[in-house]
Amino acid sequence: MMNRRPVSRSIAHVGLTLTVAFGVLAAGAGYWQVFRSPDLTSAADNPAVIAAARNVVRGKILDRDGKVLATTRRDDNGDPYRVYPERSVTPVVGYSSRRFGTAGLERSYAAELVGLTDPDPIRNLLKKFETDPSDPKTLTLSLSLPLQKAAVRGLGSDRGAVVMIDPRTGEVLALASTPTFDASAIANPATEQQGFAAARDGAGKPLLNRATQGRYVPGSVFKIVTAIAALGSGAISPTTTFPNQSRAERDGLVVNGFRIREHKGVPVRTFDLAHATEVSSNVFFALVGLKTGGANLTEYAAKLGFGGDTGFDLPVAPSQVTNGNGDQPGGFVDDVELANASYGQGETFVTPFQMALVAATVANGGELMRPHLVTALTGRSGTRTVAPASLRRVITQEEAAAINVAMVRAVEGPLGRQFTPGADVPGMTVAGKSGTAELGGSGEPHSWFIGFAPANDPQIAIAVLVERGGRGAERAVPLGGSLLKTYFDTVAK
Amino acid sequence: MNADGPSTPAAPALPRILGPIRPRPRWREARLLAVVAVAIVVGSVSLALAQRAPDAPPGGLEPAEPFHLAVYLGVLFLAHLAQVLAGRRTDQILLPAVGLLGGISLLLMERLPQNLVVQTLGDTDLGLADVQLVWLVLSIALATTLAIVVRSDRWLRLYKYTWAAAGVALLLMTFVLGTEINGQRLTLSFGPVSGQPSELLKVILVVFLAGYLSENRSLLVEQSTRVGPISLPPLPYLAPMVAMWAIALGIVVVQRDLGAALLFFAVFLLLLYTATGRPGYVVLGLILFVVGAFVMYQLVDHVRTRVDIWLDPFADPSGAGYQVVQSLYAFARGGLLGTGLGGGLPLISGRLPIPAIQTDFPLAALGEELGLIGIMAILGIYLVVIERGLRIGAAARDDFRALLASGLALVVGVQAFIIAAGNLKLIPLTGITLPFISYGGSSLLVNGIVVGLLLALSDKGVEPPPPPRQPGRLARLARRAAG
Repeated sequence: MMNRRPVSRSIAHVGLTLTVAFGVLAAGAGYWQVFRSPDLTSAADNPAVIAAARNVVRGKILDRDGKVLATTRRDDNGDPYRVYPERSVTPVVGYSSRRFGTAGLERSYAAELVGLTDPDPIRNLLKKFETDPSDPKTLTLSLSLPLQKAAVRGLGSDRGAVVMIDPRTGEVLALASTPTFDASAIANPATEQQGFAAARDGAGKPLLNRATQGRYVPGSVFKIVTAIAALGSGAISPTTTFPNQSRAERDGLVVNGFRIREHKGVPVRTFDLAHATEVSSNVFFALVGLKTGGANLTEYAAKLGFGGDTGFDLPVAPSQVTNGNGDQPGGFVDDVELANASYGQGETFVTPFQMALVAATVANGGELMRPHLVTALTGRSGTRTVAPASLRRVITQEEAAAINVAMVRAVEGPLGRQFTPGADVPGMTVAGKSGTAELGGSGEPHSWFIGFAPANDPQIAIAVLVERGGRGAERAVPLGGSLLKTYFDTVAK
Repeated sequence: MNADGPSTPAAPALPRILGPIRPRPRWREARLLAVVAVAIVVGSVSLALAQRAPDAPPGGLEPAEPFHLAVYLGVLFLAHLAQVLAGRRTDQILLPAVGLLGGISLLLMERLPQNLVVQTLGDTDLGLADVQLVWLVLSIALATTLAIVVRSDRWLRLYKYTWAAAGVALLLMTFVLGTEINGQRLTLSFGPVSGQPSELLKVILVVFLAGYLSENRSLLVEQSTRVGPISLPPLPYLAPMVAMWAIALGIVVVQRDLGAALLFFAVFLLLLYTATGRPGYVVLGLILFVVGAFVMYQLVDHVRTRVDIWLDPFADPSGAGYQVVQSLYAFARGGLLGTGLGGGLPLISGRLPIPAIQTDFPLAALGEELGLIGIMAILGIYLVVIERGLRIGAAARDDFRALLASGLALVVGVQAFIIAAGNLKLIPLTGITLPFISYGGSSLLVNGIVVGLLLALSDKGVEPPPPPRQPGRLARLARRAAG
């Protein structure tokens, strides 16, 4: 029997099946194009990423006066490559190479420099309607090229680091690490192999950014951290003295049977904070640390940025007061470790960048500003500036003022001058603290200096580290003084 | 109902070759074509802007390759005009829908590097878009000619076994004489002319199936053998299904053409269901499919490779999985709105990211540049084409025509599904073309034939279909009165 109805009904079934099948196709397209789009689009072997790295002309990087730190040239094929005219800024700017990837600001600001993504999601969506969707941003840094060059020149053939920060804003004006390397050689396709090999295998590990990634025994510069913790927690006041100190200066301070000995040149008597800072008394700060307690010491160190993220533009190795595997408060093993840590020996390791933040916090009246390098991003769509921002208040104005006074005496006081010759800047008062990090065994200690100037209205804070530079007074202190002077001669003139 | 109660003509009436031809306006088609023209012109202008950016000054809104665009739109208009003059009452939506897909194809071929395909004709080199335009024009011309000229289905209806024989011969010739390209034996060459017979085979398959199924439909519907809970058709009538299954497997093994095998078998099953309305056939067919797929996976290397790539293309993203991974990257880059025509497909060392993009991956290219919105629109147009074809089938007052029209629509729809699903990693990738969009003469011409036949079958007026075999109402009344 030929029955007409079923054919058209089964045709309707078939039509429904195909409609559902095409619905599945649409869902599949939605899965890849919306749900999986972000991670697939940023995959390293996605041609868009490769092409962006190859074809997009990255934005320039400029110093605070507009001097070019990174720019782009084109090779014979018309493909762009990066050129870095200033070797001194390599720890900051890093490099961008087709073969070896990116480092420094070239890495942390890759998305902005390439201009493929915009932090604003709406603008990201609307970019598709522009003819050229990439909007590379030019980065303007707070870095001062003359100051940076002076720092690298001052470090000379030594391995070391200099960090200079405007304490009022958190702007980084110098971030030097020696030895430097030739970033242009890594970025240039013609020399990339040799350039990278030279930087990777060179004497003194040039690729290591000592300012942010190098962690060193701090020695006496850590006493400022101990002072901040002690005053901030109320353990001591600026006038606190320890009656048992006088004897301990002579015979050593016995802690749990371990005898802490004073270094030479410290008079045998009791001091207050300022006096102890001037003569850099190990015994005084050991006593202060014991009174403050491990919990307070690590807590205030953390407020200064130890072990945490300060939101800086470059990755920073976490500094530590202790390994933290002890069961005493703060993670110390015992009071001996706490006492040693309080004057910067023990298991304490810090980056020069972290010590610059310590100096800047004191200089800024106890308030830590978020450290930053990039002050403006300029693209087709205009300029976005980075405003100074407070990270947190660590101690009160009064407490900071007391430490300020103590650090002034360390530079200007009759005894302090012996430890900090050459830290003074003509015509103004400098606050500072030297450090000599004993490494045990033979060989010269690390030479440290942290400070700021002018003491009554601080505009610049500094941390200097010279590996195996000898006593603080011999190397880091005069370098710090001359760089402070350079700052007032060039940047703040 | 005719008053005389016609009862005799079991054989189709003779074709009316020269009937009275009176022009008949096709306003709906004209309006839709106008919309299509606007869409293609806008796309072309957008492409030109993208290709000139960012250096060229904004001199004006000129379309990309105005000559190509003018030729294509002109031919679409001529096709419309010819149908108006022919005066047939045929479908008015198919041509605009297919015309839009062809326009998208032309834009895509304009956008891709022209040196992907170079055909030398005399002293002139024709690039990708030139060649595709030629095929598009021929395809539309073929569709229009068939739509106007085909007034009878007798030549298809009566000679189904001849067609089947021709199809099998074509298949065997490809098996034996075909040229192997990329490990697939799909191309048949005669001197300068070469083509892919599997494209033509799908139409022949539909013609044969429509004839066979409409003839044996009542038998297939009414008799059954029960095997457990499933009610199956009588065993002798299973022979075609098994034969079809065997042919599909043969195509997989000999031609290594998974796509065609899948297409043929799927269309066969869907048509079988259309003819019988019995889900049992579909279940049986799916069982055969699973068994066949499993055996092929175990025994045939290239099937296993394809399936493994499908399961995890990211296992070897720069080797075996490269094409699929790059396709997914392209879709992902497109996102919701796409990069705009000409804004996507970043070159690596001067080469396109996806190999064989113009034939196997046009959907990925369109997905990147038109976004999810564009993909939805394109899938929607295919659904419109399918819906028109199935509607023509449902409206046909004759089994052969119903099955023929449905089958032609299914061939387009299922093929589009298979390649789109392969591009989107929903099923293993196969190398068949995206109808009306992929580059390629065979594909475009055969799909032109499909559209032409569908248009001819949609004619509501000129030739009345063969009358039903049961007696008319008057005759029944007369008989009742007599009895």
